[in-house]
Amino acid sequence: MLEELTAGFPILSCILFLPLVGAAVLWLFDEEDMVRTSALTIALVELALSIFVLLRFIPESAAMQFAEHVRWIPALGISYHLGVDGISVLFVGLTAFLTVLVVVYSWDTIRHQVKLYMMCLLALETTTMGVFVSLDLILFFVFWELMLIPSYFLIKLWGGGAERHYAALKFVLYTLLGSVFMLVGIALLNINFHQWASLHHTDQVYSFDLLELLTVPIPINQQILIFWLMFMGFAFKAPVFPFHTWLPDALMEGPIGMAVVLAGLKLGTFGFMRFSIPLLPDASKSETVVTVVVVLGLCAILYGALMALIQPDFRGLLAYSSISHLGFIVVGLFALNYQGLQGSLLTMINLGFSTAGLFFIAGFLYSRQQTTHLSAFGGMAKQVPLLATFFLIIGLASIGLPGTNGFVGEFLILLGAFKAKWWFGAVAVLGVIFGAAYFLWYYERAMLGPVGKAVKDTMSDLQLREIVIAVSLSVMILWIGLYPSPFLRIMNGSVQALVDRLNHDSVAALGAPATGQGH
Amino acid sequence: MNFDLTISLADLLLLLPEILLTCWLCVLLIVDFAFPRLPKEQLAYLSVVGLVATLGCLAWFDLNHISGTLFGNMFVLDRMALFFKMFIVGATILVVLASMEYVNRFAFFRGEYYFLVVMSALGMMFMASANDLLSVFVTLEFSTFGFYVLVAYLRNDLASNEAGLKFFILGVFAAGLLAYGISLVYGETGKLVFSEMASAPATPGLMIGFLLIFAALGFKIGAVPFHSWIPDTYHGAPTPVTAFLSIAPKGAAFAILLRIFFVALATFKPMWIFLLVGVSILSMTYANIVAIAQRNIKRLLAYSGIAQIGNVLIGLAAGTKMGSDAILFYLLAYLFANIGAFTVVIAVSHAIGSDEIQDYSGLNRRSPFLAFAMLIFLLSLAGVPPLAGFIGKLYIFVAAIKEGLYTLITVGLINIVISMYYYLIVVKTMYINEPVDLSPVSISSPLKAVVYVGLAGTLLIGIYPQPFIDWVEAATLMFSHLAAPSAAVTPPIPPFGG
Repeated sequence: MLEELTAGFPILSCILFLPLVGAAVLWLFDEEDMVRTSALTIALVELALSIFVLLRFIPESAAMQFAEHVRWIPALGISYHLGVDGISVLFVGLTAFLTVLVVVYSWDTIRHQVKLYMMCLLALETTTMGVFVSLDLILFFVFWELMLIPSYFLIKLWGGGAERHYAALKFVLYTLLGSVFMLVGIALLNINFHQWASLHHTDQVYSFDLLELLTVPIPINQQILIFWLMFMGFAFKAPVFPFHTWLPDALMEGPIGMAVVLAGLKLGTFGFMRFSIPLLPDASKSETVVTVVVVLGLCAILYGALMALIQPDFRGLLAYSSISHLGFIVVGLFALNYQGLQGSLLTMINLGFSTAGLFFIAGFLYSRQQTTHLSAFGGMAKQVPLLATFFLIIGLASIGLPGTNGFVGEFLILLGAFKAKWWFGAVAVLGVIFGAAYFLWYYERAMLGPVGKAVKDTMSDLQLREIVIAVSLSVMILWIGLYPSPFLRIMNGSVQALVDRLNHDSVAALGAPATGQGH
Repeated sequence: MNFDLTISLADLLLLLPEILLTCWLCVLLIVDFAFPRLPKEQLAYLSVVGLVATLGCLAWFDLNHISGTLFGNMFVLDRMALFFKMFIVGATILVVLASMEYVNRFAFFRGEYYFLVVMSALGMMFMASANDLLSVFVTLEFSTFGFYVLVAYLRNDLASNEAGLKFFILGVFAAGLLAYGISLVYGETGKLVFSEMASAPATPGLMIGFLLIFAALGFKIGAVPFHSWIPDTYHGAPTPVTAFLSIAPKGAAFAILLRIFFVALATFKPMWIFLLVGVSILSMTYANIVAIAQRNIKRLLAYSGIAQIGNVLIGLAAGTKMGSDAILFYLLAYLFANIGAFTVVIAVSHAIGSDEIQDYSGLNRRSPFLAFAMLIFLLSLAGVPPLAGFIGKLYIFVAAIKEGLYTLITVGLINIVISMYYYLIVVKTMYINEPVDLSPVSISSPLKAVVYVGLAGTLLIGIYPQPFIDWVEAATLMFSHLAAPSAAVTPPIPPFGG
């Protein structure tokens, strides 16, 4: 029944290209309010489509759903292959959700070149969606790279900091550096497939298709090489310590909208889960890889938390706390057990609400004080009680207070880490403590205590649009915190399949037709 | 050596495109002299008509698989030759259209300009068919002859004169090297035709001879360390000539390089691979680093062109059928992006009278169309998906990885990042910097047409490359035998056991 309803209708393509087409349509409008309204409409339609996909998604299944497959460049084995499974479908919803909020937030905070801004934002949405729904590695790479162009303009043209030009260029070049290595890894996967195919005389000579690549065995030393090449791409993007130096610059200098997308959508760690671990299970399991990556993750947890502790600028704090959170995700992923993987996936989604939410809070603070520096705050809770309340709710979610979404994810990660090796978990726990420390300390200094000298008397509390943003984020935070099972159910099937793939030496494919296995 | 010079009518058919263009050249000259008052734009359109007819003729040959050899194997018409001929004629059409506005700057000889451009194209068409060393020499000099004049066409401009002189002296020097190399090779083997040399033993004289020939062709394609003429010549020459010089002779030279390395020297691959890897690495790295410091857009594109040639040489170093496919495809992608970029430069320099990058400030406000077109062309040159340049780079890299050329690939990829930096500087200047002068930049319709063709080509090849891949694969069928043996020389990945 469901198959009949959705079969044939390319809903993922619609989701993928609607924002891009929308961006082109915006070009026609001249009046700023018209541009804003149309951008919001497009973002809302996109959100509706994404919710439709989420509702129609069959949970507890590892299969690729809503799949679309068209051959694009047969000579090189490149296809236009889209699909979502439990790992990626939530990101589709999250991207659409955050874009709507960013459009709402930008309504009156972006004052110049509104049209170009909205076009960049919608183009960014398309490329981000593309990363999540692509099942062909080249198609994925296309979107992965294209994302840089709107991001570059967003940081550069609408960034608030004086160093935004530097930050934009650094962001593009760092990500590009990582992704060229990844491209070699992708090409090696293709060549490996080619050799296997010519050995077995199959029709398909080349392939970049994830599901087809999953059916082909890869020798262990080759896997390790490819793993590190792809690691470069994902680690620069995520960013994993010590490849993180671009992130604080980009987040502090860029506009709030860009920061929400950059910090809210964990593309790099998604890449590990989508491509590296399933494609290269033996490499991911090998002692050296696990140790190196987890140690990097643990370093990131501690380094990020300690740096966050001493940041006087709220956005700086958020940037370093992002690095710390990414450390958690990496540790959870490379614990390589069910709890770790599920916890990491859930945490990626959670951070999309909490970290992104805190960036919105930073934006609210910025529009009141024209800075996010601590010296401009102090005792503000009396004047702006609503702002202070939502600040606390979202902040507590980000440090993982029980009852909020952050707790569920972090708890699962720690469980997984302890299960893998006790000291993984032991060190990671320290991060939780530091996390509570840096947030609460900052909150206390900014919101409570005596009123700061620079705080204006006439400061107004949240406006309607800001309340909409804060409330919708808080609802999601409490929903996942108190009743996470719908979300976990969506993930279960795919996470289980991933764990099975890791635990068995066979090349059981993740949601792939069982062809070409074993030889 | 016996030359059988009796030519039948059927043989002449093989030369039909060249004969057609030669006749058209005479028509152009006659019209120019007979009707001195005729606006020179009409002459440009007349040239385009002749070139389009030639292109049609070539396409008809390609569709009907007409092939053969002439003059005792000196001249070969196969699908690869046809590909390069169409490539050259296509580039020439775009260049003629892009020149129309620029030609008004010339004080004298506006009519002869088109004659010289078409004559160079004719020479390069012969280059694409050169099948032995003598015809390489003759056709190479024939095509360069027109360029010597064209580069120095702005005779009141010191830079143009200097460019012409530099190009001439180094060109003649290269011709000397070529003649010396040919004489050495002939002395060692007694053969001139490429396919007959394949079985020759590798004597030192033969190697030195081919090294000299490679050096001479290296001048043509502008690979480091034979690039020294490129920046000044590109900078000084009239911009449409620079655009022409940056693409068409490189394509023609690659037709010859492919025949030399893949046919005559196929058995010596273990020896020449190091040469090509070295030249490729040098070209990419040197040009990309120097390009960062450029303040003039023409010089920037000159260095970017050297780096692009370094990328093409990766495909040559791969030495396989796939490598040759990738070269042809890459050149096709490069054609549209490069001519497009130079056309934007022509349009901007016409409006604001400057080629300095800082004068591109705020181009987005002054002409959104030109700024957007330039953005697309530069991103394609940088290899950003889903534009043509990306597929080209991917194709080349896959071909090289298959041969296990990891060092080369690593250097190539790092160079992509470096090149992104200077392309982004231009993008930044156009989009972010505030314009000094807000007056809109207008663009004439022939230039607009060329920019549209460039955009269409860049986007189409990027988004739907399959037909183009089919085309280049068919064009290089003659190299099919190269795939298997060379893969065995350097196995990139240990094959699976059991």
